[in-house]
Amino acid sequence: MNQRRQLIVSLTALSLCPWGSASAMPSEAMQAMQAIVGTSIVNTGRVYFELPPLVESGNLVAVKFSVDSPMTPTNYVRAIHIISEANPSPNVVSCYFTPLSGKAEASTRIRLADSQRVWALAQMSDGSFWRTSVDTVITLSACTEMV
Amino acid sequence: MSRSSRAVVTMPKTAKKGEVFSIRVIVQHEMESGFRHTEQGVRVPRDLIRSFVCTYNGNEVFKADLHSGVASNPLFIFYAKADQSGTFEFKWQGDNNYFTVVNQAITVS
Repeated sequence: MNQRRQLIVSLTALSLCPWGSASAMPSEAMQAMQAIVGTSIVNTGRVYFELPPLVESGNLVAVKFSVDSPMTPTNYVRAIHIISEANPSPNVVSCYFTPLSGKAEASTRIRLADSQRVWALAQMSDGSFWRTSVDTVITLSACTEMV
Repeated sequence: MSRSSRAVVTMPKTAKKGEVFSIRVIVQHEMESGFRHTEQGVRVPRDLIRSFVCTYNGNEVFKADLHSGVASNPLFIFYAKADQSGTFEFKWQGDNNYFTVVNQAITVS
């Protein structure tokens, strides 16, 4: 390998997205969901998940998720998990609700490393699981930055 | 020694019994993911808030597990149902002995 080639290789190794090698593949997202769900069946729907379809900066993405539920002690939403398919770690945030919450809704701000599909997985008090996914395009990913 | 930082809680001071109101909490924190590198290729160690818990007179209202995918200065907007006058406690815990707690009183009529 000549010197120029070496330089290019070392530069590429340095400057490429540091999250690239460690990013969660869709199967990892599925595994993360499997870890939460266990042997239960996951249904599609019921979860309302608001994520902008086009995001300028992946460093700060406002998300809102909710499930329509009466939130009584016998029928409420236990948790909503946000799972990413292309972040270095698939688990983003897990929010747990109680009947005292009154409403199974929460907003937060997340990081997205790349254009991808993001899942919202809800766990009900009766043990059932529901999920919804949203596809989004990121113009500036949260991984290209250096410190 | 535990580390702490500035946290701001926005919620009503009074509420009617049974009313569902929103609570907005934001805390100052870098949320260093542990996946970033410096220009020299040195990995920046992870420094995250790992959990957030909100309790109302000692009973849990809302809880969150935070991972590397949560943006810096974590913000949460969630809801609570007014039951009786008392105190809301908001608690954040994280890596490197991070610990912040905020208390807020509410009067329920």
